Amino acid sequence: MDNPLTLKQRALIIASFLAAMILAIVPLPSSIHLLRPDWAALVLVYWCMALPERIGVGSGWVLGLFLDVLYGSLLGEQALAKALLAYLTLRFTLRLRMFPRWQQSLAVGTLVALSDLMLIMIKSLVRGHPPLWSDTAPMIANVILWPFLFGILREVRRRAKIS
Amino acid sequence: MGTFLGWSIKRPSNLTKLILVVCASVALMVADSHDDQGTRAIRNIVLRASYPLQELAALPFSAGYEAFRGLRTNTRLRRDNARLEAENRQLAVEASQAGALRAEVTHMTALLHGAPVPGYRVSLAHILDVSAGPFSQRLTLDEGAHNHVFPGQAVIDVHGIIGQVVSVGPHTSQVMLITDPDSGIPVVSERNGLRAIAFGTGSQDRLKVPYLSVTADIRPGDVLASSGLGGVYPPGYPVARVTEVTSNPNLAFLKIRAVPLARLGYHTHVLLLWPRKASKGQGMRHG
Repeated sequence: MDNPLTLKQRALIIASFLAAMILAIVPLPSSIHLLRPDWAALVLVYWCMALPERIGVGSGWVLGLFLDVLYGSLLGEQALAKALLAYLTLRFTLRLRMFPRWQQSLAVGTLVALSDLMLIMIKSLVRGHPPLWSDTAPMIANVILWPFLFGILREVRRRAKIS
Repeated sequence: MGTFLGWSIKRPSNLTKLILVVCASVALMVADSHDDQGTRAIRNIVLRASYPLQELAALPFSAGYEAFRGLRTNTRLRRDNARLEAENRQLAVEASQAGALRAEVTHMTALLHGAPVPGYRVSLAHILDVSAGPFSQRLTLDEGAHNHVFPGQAVIDVHGIIGQVVSVGPHTSQVMLITDPDSGIPVVSERNGLRAIAFGTGSQDRLKVPYLSVTADIRPGDVLASSGLGGVYPPGYPVARVTEVTSNPNLAFLKIRAVPLARLGYHTHVLLLWPRKASKGQGMRHG
């Protein structure tokens, strides 16, 4: 952990987060809008698992802050959820790494779902949005997407020799 | 491990960080839900920093949308053009109809207001059919015996006398125009009161006035009005204007041509006249 990341490696990590944010706000038709996975959360989980010493609660919080602004949601709600997600991931990162892929994706899906639950609670408390069954659709999309995203990001990490 | 103001401090644990950021988040949320100035400033800063992201996210879609809109605009323009042309054609037809209607309204208003004939009751009749030939100049009207039309009834328009009813069906009637070769109408020159009879010629724009001696005082431009003699036509109503007077020394009479003042070839409505005294002129024809 004591080998500091080069500028290029840092840029790559930031770029992956930026890409996730772009994918999170790309306009989609309303028919498939519900199935949009939480790209930013999954990328955050990956980097937390891969670089637990560098990417963590603070990174998650900043990422959430950006998402709050991009989504136009209450400032702090995404930040809180993503910080919580980062914390949970760091807490279970060793176990997550050992899981087989399908189990890992279920576990990651559960973690993201927990942070989503946090969001839903905040929304219903502050803005009076009732929880909807359609809120669970992105959670399923997360589970489906995770193995592919994991493969891609691991490949990126290995090529860039980030460790 | 590090030092802060001389104290050696540990790197904060994840839980500590989480508690910190949760506090910060809650503070932000509380402030933001009260529309705080500070959170708005933070939002603006982050928004400005993330503006390229939004542009990038919208880029493929806006580019695709632009291209798609270009295509769509083309087809839509063609379609609109076709539709507008069809609409324009229809509107042109309607406009011409409106013009015809306006002319008709003007005409009928003139008929109703400009033809009070003393001693007569008037009624509008619609022209159903026109037969204009050299041997018969007739109109068919949509009024018949049911509307108390009778043979010998005078028919006029705004400008002058048109003719008389010659046969009456239950719902239609035949009108012999003053230009019919069989028609003759007693007239009087408005200028000097010279009596004459104007006969039809079979041509819609010509009458002849025979049997005037070469010494008769008649000139082109004289207006001939109906004299009322014979009782068919109302007296004093314009019939024709003299256009041509030729004197042939070999003949006993002048050769006089006149043009009917009634616009026989125009419009679709004429006026029927009923004498107020029912006994007068019934069934009499002058021809």
